[in-house]
Parts: sequence; structure tokens; C-alpha cells
Amino acid sequence: MNQIILETKQISKSFGKVQALNNIDFYLYKGKIHGLLGENGAGKTSLMNVLSGVYQPEKGSIYINGEKQVRLTPDASLNLGIGMVHQEFRLIEDFSIKDNLTLSKTNIYIKDFKKAYDKYSKIFSLSAESNSPVSELSVGEKQKIEIMKLIFSNSNIMLLDEPTAVLTPQETDQLKLSLDNLSQEDGKTIVLITHKLNEIKQFTEKIFVMKNGEMIAKDLKTKAVSHKTLVNLMVGEITSSKVNKDNPKGEVKLRIENILHKKTESDLNILEDVTLSIKSGEILGIAGVSGNGQVELANIISGIEQNFNGNIFINDIDVSIKGVRARKELNLSYVPENRLGVGLAPGVSVLDNSAIKEYSAASYGPHLLKNKLLEHLNLLIQEFSIKVPDPKAEVSTLSGGNMQKILMGRELISNPEVIIASQPTRGLDVRAVEAIHSLIIHQRDNGTAVMLFSEDLDELFKLSDRIIVLYEGKIIKEFDIDKASRQNVGLAMAGVHE
Amino acid sequence: MSRYILVKKASIHDLSTFYSFLIGLIISITVGSIILLIQDQDPLDIFSLMLKLSVGSIDSLSSSLNKAIPLILAGLGIAIMNTVKLWNIGAEGQMFLGAIIVNLVYINTDFGSPSLHIFVLLISGFVGGSICMLFPAITKVMFGVNEIITTLLTNYIIIGFTVYLINGPWKDLNSLNFPVAAYVGEEVFLPTVFGRLSIGFIICILCTFGTYYLIDKSVLGYEMRITGGSRMTAIYAGINAKQKTFIAMLIGGGFAGLAGAIELLGQTHRVSTGISQGFGYTAIIVAAITGMRPIGIFIVGSLFGVLTIGGSVIQTVGVSSYIADIIQATTLFGALIALFFFTYQIKEVKDG
Amino acid sequence: MADVQLMGLVNATLQAATLLFIAALGELITEKSGVLNLGVEGMISIGAVTGFITAINTENIFLAITMGIFSASLFASLHAFVTVVLKQDQTVSGLTLTILGLSLSSLLGKKYVGRKLVTKIDSIVDISEPDTLLEVLLNQSIIFYIAIVLMFTVTYILKYTLYGRRLEAVGEDSRAADSMGLKVNKTQFIATCVGGAFAGLSGVYLTLSYVPYWTDNMTSGRGWIALALVIFGGWKPYRTAIGALIFGLLEALVPRLQTYSFEISPYLLKITPYLITLFVLVILTIYKDGKTGSPGNIGKTFFRENR
Repeated sequence: MNQIILETKQISKSFGKVQALNNIDFYLYKGKIHGLLGENGAGKTSLMNVLSGVYQPEKGSIYINGEKQVRLTPDASLNLGIGMVHQEFRLIEDFSIKDNLTLSKTNIYIKDFKKAYDKYSKIFSLSAESNSPVSELSVGEKQKIEIMKLIFSNSNIMLLDEPTAVLTPQETDQLKLSLDNLSQEDGKTIVLITHKLNEIKQFTEKIFVMKNGEMIAKDLKTKAVSHKTLVNLMVGEITSSKVNKDNPKGEVKLRIENILHKKTESDLNILEDVTLSIKSGEILGIAGVSGNGQVELANIISGIEQNFNGNIFINDIDVSIKGVRARKELNLSYVPENRLGVGLAPGVSVLDNSAIKEYSAASYGPHLLKNKLLEHLNLLIQEFSIKVPDPKAEVSTLSGGNMQKILMGRELISNPEVIIASQPTRGLDVRAVEAIHSLIIHQRDNGTAVMLFSEDLDELFKLSDRIIVLYEGKIIKEFDIDKASRQNVGLAMAGVHE
Repeated sequence: MSRYILVKKASIHDLSTFYSFLIGLIISITVGSIILLIQDQDPLDIFSLMLKLSVGSIDSLSSSLNKAIPLILAGLGIAIMNTVKLWNIGAEGQMFLGAIIVNLVYINTDFGSPSLHIFVLLISGFVGGSICMLFPAITKVMFGVNEIITTLLTNYIIIGFTVYLINGPWKDLNSLNFPVAAYVGEEVFLPTVFGRLSIGFIICILCTFGTYYLIDKSVLGYEMRITGGSRMTAIYAGINAKQKTFIAMLIGGGFAGLAGAIELLGQTHRVSTGISQGFGYTAIIVAAITGMRPIGIFIVGSLFGVLTIGGSVIQTVGVSSYIADIIQATTLFGALIALFFFTYQIKEVKDG
Repeated sequence: MADVQLMGLVNATLQAATLLFIAALGELITEKSGVLNLGVEGMISIGAVTGFITAINTENIFLAITMGIFSASLFASLHAFVTVVLKQDQTVSGLTLTILGLSLSSLLGKKYVGRKLVTKIDSIVDISEPDTLLEVLLNQSIIFYIAIVLMFTVTYILKYTLYGRRLEAVGEDSRAADSMGLKVNKTQFIATCVGGAFAGLSGVYLTLSYVPYWTDNMTSGRGWIALALVIFGGWKPYRTAIGALIFGLLEALVPRLQTYSFEISPYLLKITPYLITLFVLVILTIYKDGKTGSPGNIGKTFFRENR
């Protein structure tokens, strides 16, 4: 009979004014693979954080194997056998794989570490030495270590938060096999958190759906429920728009040739022989697993990174040896992947952050014309429907979607010639994603050349006219959108090319 | 059974720093009273005596405000450096180097008009403080060397150098075994108003407004803020992050150097170890308590000046002057504790 | 004759180095957990004055040492409370701790200035002018040997025991450590108090052996040097010990250089240790290109629910 191994009753949690979780009832069957579906911001990660002890709920109770838990902290949670793989990995970069696997207090492989490591490396097809530092691993490998961590800590309940976000389609298939193995052979209870419908369908047996901090559907049988039902539950009325690909293309606006970029200490080439061009009214999608040179390429084109060889032309004007100012003058805009940290300055107000491109225009000699800055911000707020309760508040107090809108708005308001957009919709809810996508399409139709870096293949397929795959710093393959498929793009992302 | 959890508050009350300071003050006066009681002193007596002797007359109020000058100026310098998120632990040394450069310039120049001479000397003090910051600034900007340690070690180097000067080349032969430099001429003594109040205090007021303008309303202040938030964002904004950091540090050092110049020309009238007795460090407390706000620094600095004078005059009735330092330090600790309650909340958990 | 001079130098070096090393080692432990404690100068002072007062009043050296260690550790817990429990800024709290520590110890020690100790921490074997290395070593006090034992013990614990590895994990990446079930707050609090204990031992050594008496500002910046030594040593006990020896040598040289007939003012000489430390620190930072070995989370406040 299906035994319930974990149950929550009326769990509530708020962060300031935001009610992240509202009276959540949730349960898990022992040994089954469950899916927790919901768009970004629905509360899935918050619920998992409550279960793993990172967040303390303000109301409600948690039962493990029928026993009520008084206070769940990360170590209490681990002791009860609950383990979580977070979206942003929680690995100690400078420590060895072995340290990361064995320092936990619930580690069961103290004596026979080597045997266990060899065994599970085989199961997960991992080929790294246990004493090598985690920092040397690829993203996919790090995730395998994160999952192995759960096994080594004897976790019976494994919570995986958006695990496939960083994997190639082939690696995703591999993950499914490993999870099936863990559930059937080892009896582990697994929860897969995702906002992707095809994954829920592919991986799970039971589905729970969350929306706006509430549990709106429980214990749905994956095989029995339709795509349409799930979409309606997840997002309600909003449907994803279809993008018109008949856009006319004009002159080449951005051209880069033979970009070579090395890491300072070693001889490793982070980027090698990268050559591409983008026309006016065209969207070029750059696919690739994170860590293959995308961030560096974007930083080089935008002018932040000056240490490289090669040439960059904007509207045929050579900006290769010039800095950020030159790009600004030629109306190149950059929406960096690192929202808070590169695009927006943390610890600085919304008003100050919104003015980054405009502040010299809003000054009179050494004097800053604050009212002009406010005008500019209000323009952005109106144009892009941004919610800013207090312009003087620190920028990180805005929601993820609104922060991204400030960033994009600031960059797009000048009607740029070229836009570099890196992971522009990462972590945003469907409404915000739609809004950002229409902004990008709108710019494209205005004649802007768009370079789109994204780990989300759906997004790339939806928006791009051409797709280029970056692998280990080289352009490994280029596809026209009608010739591209998840299969061949996925293979290229993994480095396979004929 | 009820449980409690710790939660961060959604927004911090605007006046939280101010209220925290008041609470800190209350806590420190309480602690000070306890210490006095242990020593068989009556806190009420002692505190009212301290007040009377520090603000009871125009003369004493002036002395107190004069003592506040280095706290305010160094504090302003620290606030300026805070815009680029750096700490200035070197205000002590910068004050001394400011005084040294003033003396150097004084010895080697001659100006007809005293006002012009004083003006030039004050500028030299500012420059001296900036020079003191050169090494920490260059190493920070070029190599990322920790400015806390460099500014700190520079303190000891400069103070040691001062001791060398007043025992060696600048030793005043008239001072009978007391190591000090010779007096500067009376013509460059800083003029006073209302009897004893040094015009240095007027300079403080000007600098406070200047700092406020710089931080809040100038383009340079904006660029420094962005640099302090994130170097990469600054680079993307086209701001020369290294240059802004360098400028912030030199200005910060300069303010402390100016404080040293005013102390020399207005109070001690000669280079000695009395130029600063820990003011560089107390200034950090002043700046931190006010959340790096210039007007707050002016007010709290003045208050601490009163406290310091109160502390030194209370020695006449046998109370250690260190009580003032203890009160200042405890005020900050009290304020930090209070700030916790403004930032976090302890919530009760209900069962579901 | 030269032998006695050289050995005298070695003798003084070892004593000065011991003083600095113990405090630095304590701060190393604290920083390994991710907490920056700028209050070392204040903690040494508290330990020094408490130890001295206890020794004068009870004539019991063992009790004096214990009191010195305990009081400094208690004093450090104030910093731990404010930064780990109440999550306030570590730089500000540490600096204030120093100011409070120095003024509090001056207040407490006022009546004891100039008093003479009846008993103090003695050398293992009292040799007035040692002229061989063996005699120098025998002339050290037990604190010197304790310092050596501490150095090996701390190194071993950090590298080979689970406690030590977990301590480093907390300081390197608090969030990852928290996810592993490690108790970040508890580790940081204890590490800070342990650092205080070490500083207290150093302070007791100062007033009961090295100097040995009490006046205001006895520590004369040694706490700050200890902080610099931790960076100098790349957060490794052995290297910190080497740094302590170098600095101890410089401190011992200052009064002796006149005998080597150098025409330098003693006042300028007094500055050279700080100059050299500054110089070496900068060279190290440049050479290591930023990878100085500092714990990843040092100085940062940990709050589990930070999003």
C-alpha cells in the first residue's frame, strides 16, 4: 500500500509583506517520484526550504513517518533523512569532492568512502578524482556531486529544485534513469521541483501544483492528467504568445571576428576563434550549457572585459580597443546574466540604479539633477509597468521580475542598435516572462540586432531566427531556426558534432 | 507550547539609526553609573558635574566643541570613504602627518599676511592627510590590498615618525626634557570666536555641508556610490572605478589631515604626541553610530566632544578619565544591540 | 662575547614572538570560522590586566593565568554576541571592542600601576646570560612551550579532524555548511571565544613574564600586529609562527642595534617592524594575486533566511 512518509498541514510563511506560503497541505508517498509544479514565484522553493529546515514556518506542522516535528533546522532535517539539492548549488568550491561529501554530520560512508564513491561515480557516470576541488568540475558534474551528497548523507527524501535547468537534453535523460534507479532500487522518495511541463510528464508519477503561494492541486496522477489541465492550473488564463518569424532583416549591425580570450593565469582558452554577425531585425540565440564562455563573450562585446584578441564592429565601426563609453555612444545595450552584481549595483537605491546610462545627461557640471533622474525613473515605470514602491529603497527590495524590468527598461529606453541579453527571464514568473519576451520582439521589429544568451531551449526556439551553440568557448554549430530541433541542438551543447 | 522564530523585517524604519543611538546612550549612561557606583561615587553628582564643567559656561562649551572638531572632520572623512565601501582606520596617522606637513610648510615659508599663511597651512594639513593615504590607496586600487590593515599599520609608522621628529630634528630646546617641537608663531594661531571657540569649528560646519553635498547631490558622489555597490556595475556605467576609489580615499585622508592641522594651529600650537589621543578611532564609532550621515556625525561628534571634556575634568574629583571612552564605546555597542531589534523581529509560531 | 650577544638576541626574539604568536593563532581560529575580530588589542589588554590584578592579590600564578584567559574569552563573547547572534557589522564591533577593552583595562588597572609582582611566570631554568641555544631554550618560560604545542595541535585539528574541517567549512561557505547540517552560529560563537582565550593567554604572558608590570597601553599595538600576522601567514599556523619570529626579531633588534654601532635614531628603528610588515603584506597580496588563503566568508554576516 502507498505509505505516506511526509506530510505538511497548513504551512504558512511570509517575507515582509509577501506571503510566500499560505496554508499549504502537502504529502509524499514513500518510494515514489513526485513533481511539484508551478511557475516561478509560486512558492515551490519556499516550501522545499521549509522542509529542509532553511526557512522556519510561522504557522503549521510537519509530520515525518507520522511523527510531528517540533522544530526543523537543517541538521534536524538531515537527521530525519530529508536532503535538498538547491537551484544554486551549495558546494564549497575550494574544498575537495570528498570533503563536500563527507563533512555532513549524517554521513554514513566514513570508513568505506572509497568503495561508495567508486560505486556511485559509476551510476552517475562521473569521472572525477575524489580529492580534486569542486571548482574544477563542470556544472553538470557539480550537480551529480550534489545528488551524491544526498546519498552519502543517507537522505531518504530527496528534494531536487529545478535540476534540469543546467543540463543538456541528453544529461536530462541520464538524470531520469538515475532517479528511477534510486526510487525503485533504493526506495528513495523523490520530489522534482520544476516549472517545465514536459519534465513533470517525463519524470514523475504524482503531481502537486502550486500557484501564488497556495497548493491548488494535490496528488494528480501524471499519466492521467493532460497538458492543458496542468497549464490552466499553473498559470490560469495567460497563454504563451506565438512569435511571428516573418520579421524583415536589414544590414549587419554587430560583427565580431576571431575573438580569443584566455584565463589570466593558465593557458586555457575561454573563448577561441569566435566569429559571428547579427543583422538589424534579427535575433541570434546562443545556446550552451552554463560555463562554456557565454558570460565572458557577453562581457567582451559589451566592453566590460577588455582583455581579449579579435575585432568587434558596431555598424561597421571598430570598437575593439575602445571601452564601454564607445559602445554607449554607438547605442549598444547590455542586460547581463548577473542581474544583481553587474547589471544592478547591490546596496544602491532603485533611483541610482535606473540612472546608470543617463546620469551624465542629468547633471549640470558637478551637480546631479535629482529631479531629472526621478523623471527618467518615472518614464521607465510607466513604459514598462514596473512596480517601485519607493525609489530611494535599495534595489534588491524589488521583486525579481521588477528588478529585471528596471534593468531592461533602462537598457531599452534608448532604442538601441544592438542588445546583448543574457538569461533575461531566468527565475521570472510567466507574466513577467511574457512581458520581457514582447519587449525583445518589439525591439527586434524596430530594427535592433539582438543577441540572446539563454539556457532555456524553449525560449531560444521561441524567439530566435538563428541558433549558435557555444561549447568550450568555440562555436561548435550554427542552425537556422527551421533546421533546429531539441535533439540536434542538445547534441551540439554536449559537444557532439559530425 | 509556543515556539519563536527570527525573521528579518520588511523595511527598516527611517529613524532607526537615530533611535538606536538614543538607546545606546541610555545603556551607556546606565553602565557608566554602575561603574561609578562600584567606585563609591554618586552617578548623579558626577554626571551633573561633568555637564556643568563641559557645557556650563561659554568657555567650557567652546572647549568641548573644540575637542569635537577632529571627531567630526575625521568622521566625515570616514563617511566619504564609506561611499566606496572602504574603511579608514588610519585617521590617527593622517592627523599626525597633517600636523607634520603644516609644521614643515610653516618653517619653510613666509607670507606677509597671517590669514593667507593660515589658509595655506590648513591646505597643507589636508594635503598631508592625503599623502598619508597614498600608499593604502595605491595598493588598494592597483592590487586589492586590504585597506584596514594598511591604514592601521600606517598609523604606527607616522606616529613613530612623529616621535622621532620631536626627539630629534624638531626637538624644542626650550622644553626641558619634554619631547615636543617648537611652537609655531603666534601670527598663525587659529583665531577664535566667542572667546575660545576655534574657527576650526566653523570649518567643521562648512565641511559638514560640503560632505553632505558631495555624497548626496554631486555627480562624483553618485559615481562613488555605484562603485561602492559593485565595481562591475561601475565599469559598465563607464565609471572609472579605480579613479573614484582613489579620490574617495584621498579626500577621506585629507579631512583627517585637516583635523590635525586645526589641532596644531588651534590647540596645541606645536607638533607633539598630543595632536591626537585616539580620536582617529573614536571618529569611526561616531561615523558608524550615525549610519555615515554627515549631519549626524556633526551632532554626535559634538556630543562626544562634550563627553571627552567632561571625562577629563572629572579627574579632579578622582574619577578616571577613561570613563568617557567607556561611555563612548558602550554607546555604540548599545546602539548595535538596539539596531538588531529594528532590523529583526521575533515572531511566535502557531500550530497548524 | 659575541655568542652572548647573539644568544641574547635569540632569547629576546623568542619571547617577543611567543607573545605575538599566541594572539595571532587565536585570531586565526576565529577567522577560520568566518568571523573577523578586530578587537585583539582590547582582548590582550583585558587578559593582561586581569591576570596582573589576580597575581598581585592572590600571588597564585596558576589562578592568574586562568583568570586572564577566562576574562578575555568572556570579553570576546561580547563581540560574538553582537556579530553572530545579533548579526551586526563585524568591523565596527571589533574596533569598538578594542576601544572598550583598552579603556576598561586602564580603568581597572589604575590602582596597580607601578606595583611589583611577588611571583611571576618564571623561566624553566633561570639563566641570566644564556650563551648557547640550549640555554636560551631552557631560559624560556612554559608559555613558550605551550605556544609550540598549540601550534602543532591547532594545525593537526584543522587538517585532520572532523571538527577542524567543519570549522573551515563554516568559514569558507556558511550557506553550504548550513545545508550540510553544520551549526554555523554555534561554531562562530565558540571560535570567537577561543580566539579571546588565546589573546588572554598572550596578555597574561605580557604582564606576568615578558614585561612584567602594568601600565596604560602596555599592548602598544601588538594586537594589530597579530591581526596582520594572520594575513601574513596565509591563515596557516606554521607560517604565522614564522611571521611572529620575524617580527619578534625586529622588536628584539631595536634596543640592540646601537651595540652593533648603527648610526640610526632609535626612534626611527622602532618604526622598521611596521614598515617591513606593511611591505611584506603588500608583496604577498600582489604575489598571491588575490588568493591569499582567506576564508571565503570572512567578515560576512550569516543569516539563514537571507534570500
